[in-house]
Amino acid sequence: MRTDPDLAADAARGSESAYAELVRRHQARVRGMARRLTGTASDGDDIAQATFLTAWQKIGTYAGGTFAAWICTICYREFLQVRRRQKVEIEFDETAEIIPFGRTQADTANDKMDLSRALAKLPEAQRICVTLCVAASLSHREAAEATGWPLGTVKSHVNRGVAALRKHLAATEVA
Amino acid sequence: MRDEDTYADLTALFTAEDRALEAKPFTDDVMGQIRAQGRVRKLLLAVTGIAGALLAAAQLPKLLADTVGLDTSITTSIVQAQTDMTALASSNPLWLGIAAIVGLSLMAVAAMERA
Repeated sequence: MRTDPDLAADAARGSESAYAELVRRHQARVRGMARRLTGTASDGDDIAQATFLTAWQKIGTYAGGTFAAWICTICYREFLQVRRRQKVEIEFDETAEIIPFGRTQADTANDKMDLSRALAKLPEAQRICVTLCVAASLSHREAAEATGWPLGTVKSHVNRGVAALRKHLAATEVA
Repeated sequence: MRDEDTYADLTALFTAEDRALEAKPFTDDVMGQIRAQGRVRKLLLAVTGIAGALLAAAQLPKLLADTVGLDTSITTSIVQAQTDMTALASSNPLWLGIAAIVGLSLMAVAAMERA
């Protein structure tokens, strides 16, 4: 099986089939990450799509290393851009009802997994770090580079987030 | 023990959740958008190239008349047409604005074209 860097090199030379293979390999991780960051399936998939379109434009800048970390960093930046845009829209429309990151009834109904519900209860910084390190399997260092936060801060958020996640899950099991 | 080992069970749960996501429709959707973007860019690049070629070709009669000695009636009429177009554009600055916007847009898209 061809490695991610080999496929990325071919994609940088314009091979759409090589890039399609990269998308197929990493879509689950990126979509899962985007859905957890936004809290909804529809917003998450939009961000995941934007991530792969941006990555296609920038594939020439991929300089080896873990492709998963590279694509997850792009995904995190896309998430920040969308969130910034949404905040501006909410600030602009003073009469608008403030809804947490575009949740719809359909999305909420789809969130049946205890894991997703427990993750959604975490404070944002912990949710981001748990999503990057625990769900997307990035190392603490890679997550620190993606977010721009100090390594110690990322570790601390992950540890607290994991503890809180376990507590929520245990409470759900008891109930 | 590495930090990552303390939550390997949770990672497995998240991975199982992600594996349930269907890959084909999403991948097809992304690749479809990439191909569509590529087609638009190629079209704009072609338009830019043709515009450049036409601009260069427009200078040819004058150049040939100076060097080879092309029939003056042909070169005169072409040069006259160019002069008329320039006069028309300068009489209504809107044309110049439109031309500038089109030119800048084409340049921007051409510059964004990935290698």
